[in-house]
Amino acid sequence: MKKALTLSLGILWIIPALPGQELTGDDIIRRVNEQLSPETSHGTAEMTIVTSSGSKRTFVFEQWSKNKGEKNLVRYHEPSRVKDQAVLMLNNADDIWMFFPRTQRVRKLATHAKKQKMQGSDFSYEDMGSGDAFVEEYEAERLEDEEISGYDCFKLELVRKQESDSSYSRLIVWVIKENFIPIAIDYYDEDDPARLVKRLEQSEFRIVDGIPTAMKAVMHNKNDNTQTEMTLLEVAYNVSLDDSLFTERALKR
Amino acid sequence: MNKWIFLCVLLLLSSLFLSPILSGERVEIFGYFESQFMGAGIKDRFYQLYTNKLRVDLQSDVSETITFSANFDYINYLGKKQWNILDFLTDDVTASIPREARPFYVIAFSDETFLDNAYIKMRFKPFDLIVGKQQISLGTGYVWNPTDIFNVKDPLDPTYEQPGHTALRVEVPLGSGSSLTALYSPEEEWKYSAKLIRYKNRVSHFDFHIIAAEKQWVFHDYTRLDTATGGFPGKPQKRSLLGADTAGEAFGLGIWAEFAYNWMEESKDFCELVIGGDYTFDFQTYVMVEYYRNTLGKTDHKNYGINDWMRFYASEQKAIARDQVYLLIQHPAMALLDLGLISVYSLSDGSAALVPTLRYSLSDNVDVFAYLNVNLGGAGKVFGKNTGSGGLLRVRVYF
Repeated sequence: MKKALTLSLGILWIIPALPGQELTGDDIIRRVNEQLSPETSHGTAEMTIVTSSGSKRTFVFEQWSKNKGEKNLVRYHEPSRVKDQAVLMLNNADDIWMFFPRTQRVRKLATHAKKQKMQGSDFSYEDMGSGDAFVEEYEAERLEDEEISGYDCFKLELVRKQESDSSYSRLIVWVIKENFIPIAIDYYDEDDPARLVKRLEQSEFRIVDGIPTAMKAVMHNKNDNTQTEMTLLEVAYNVSLDDSLFTERALKR
Repeated sequence: MNKWIFLCVLLLLSSLFLSPILSGERVEIFGYFESQFMGAGIKDRFYQLYTNKLRVDLQSDVSETITFSANFDYINYLGKKQWNILDFLTDDVTASIPREARPFYVIAFSDETFLDNAYIKMRFKPFDLIVGKQQISLGTGYVWNPTDIFNVKDPLDPTYEQPGHTALRVEVPLGSGSSLTALYSPEEEWKYSAKLIRYKNRVSHFDFHIIAAEKQWVFHDYTRLDTATGGFPGKPQKRSLLGADTAGEAFGLGIWAEFAYNWMEESKDFCELVIGGDYTFDFQTYVMVEYYRNTLGKTDHKNYGINDWMRFYASEQKAIARDQVYLLIQHPAMALLDLGLISVYSLSDGSAALVPTLRYSLSDNVDVFAYLNVNLGGAGKVFGKNTGSGGLLRVRVYF
């Protein structure tokens, strides 16, 4: 979920001035992972689902993240239909609680819920990231470098580890050499590693609080011919967030 | 209707005038309008009930630590507004009911305007205090909640909001994952007022609650009509409950359980148990199963009497049959559209209901929900064909 705000982050001071050719796939994905995991973050994002017929559904949500994404709280503000619904994720999303304001009910969800679409969008909760998924769930191998949208990129293949329960058999990730932002990710079917099911494209890169940030991400769903755009409206990194924010008490506000 | 227009104007004016008074904080106004059609086939007839519901929510952060929330509901009914339960029952159940008593077995739907919830939440460092008419949601079960002595869910629509209950509630966080809740809901006498205490803890990936509660309870005797009052006699008694619930994950499956034992002052003690599990497949299909046992329920449908049926419809007891299983399969068929299939199966009498469901997002703030329920059981069973197969169509617009 933390990627909802830290769509792609790069902590400038951890990017060494090493020649790219010396980095292995494992080195690169670990650095990408570091960039995706600032100590804390807080911001607001807009998510727009675009169906194959052109219909749009727009959501606005606020997110707080702490301990490099180990703790996350998401609260929806718009539309009215989901106003004040909230999701709390602890232990890298191994523990998930959802709050429904009209019934004031808090429901504990199992981790399989991460496979579900986030508010019907093309992002599953798993796509939105949970802790060190790139490193923990996949083996990385570096492929031949490629240029995408004018950016010189590392190209990586991430193959699902045997013990992983990820919904994808493999990922192809293009990482901008300059700032270690993954500019594009291809997601392949769980059972058929040749079948592309989704593609994520990131753009509108800015430096926010010293961190390179993609302000926009678009997930294209190849199965449904739909897409979901995620735009950061506000974001701040390494802000002070109290642990009490990541509790059931705060979830119910 | 004039009353409602007056109420809306009053609310709008109140919010305008209260805004600067409430510490400069604005009052948020939101809510929804819901239009619903419900139908049920009874013998050779098809009953229809239309409902229009307007819910207006008010919310204001009076200060950093105090929040005021409220909602008014206006519900307008059209169509068949009086449903006689006897129409749904078999002759062997209704045969003993005198002709003059039959009109009293009616559930009536009358237009209503009411304050559903209105409460103040005060957040102090060591605890939260919530005072007023509020939602009380207890238990981990999805369809049935043995530990919830305040609410009864509709198995075909279990996530629908429940009525508010006037109470004073204190929630004390006791550390990471642990908390204590105490609640008092007043009745005419202290003895019969609802009292509840609930302790929560977390162990590994499981949440646990232990709950003790007592509340006034009435089982009416629907076999006798009190001619003086025109109602059915029922003596208030104290219901004392001790229960526990848990929710967590094992082997990749979501699992939960909930149990409550009830000591009744006058009538027979009973217990309830729920065990459930769910899973989401990689292809997005979601499956849930929940088993429910209620020892007030009967094991043989030949023993279902008028009291069983009426107490169930009056929400005095949550089941007619002792053992039931709820199965839900849901899949996002396409963008914005979820299709599902619910089956509720009575293990005790072998009857079942099949309920295809549909949820569609018509626009950002417009939802459509529909289901058809088809009862497949024999006459006299919980999901017998005589109990009214039918359906529901609901369109809700949020603002």
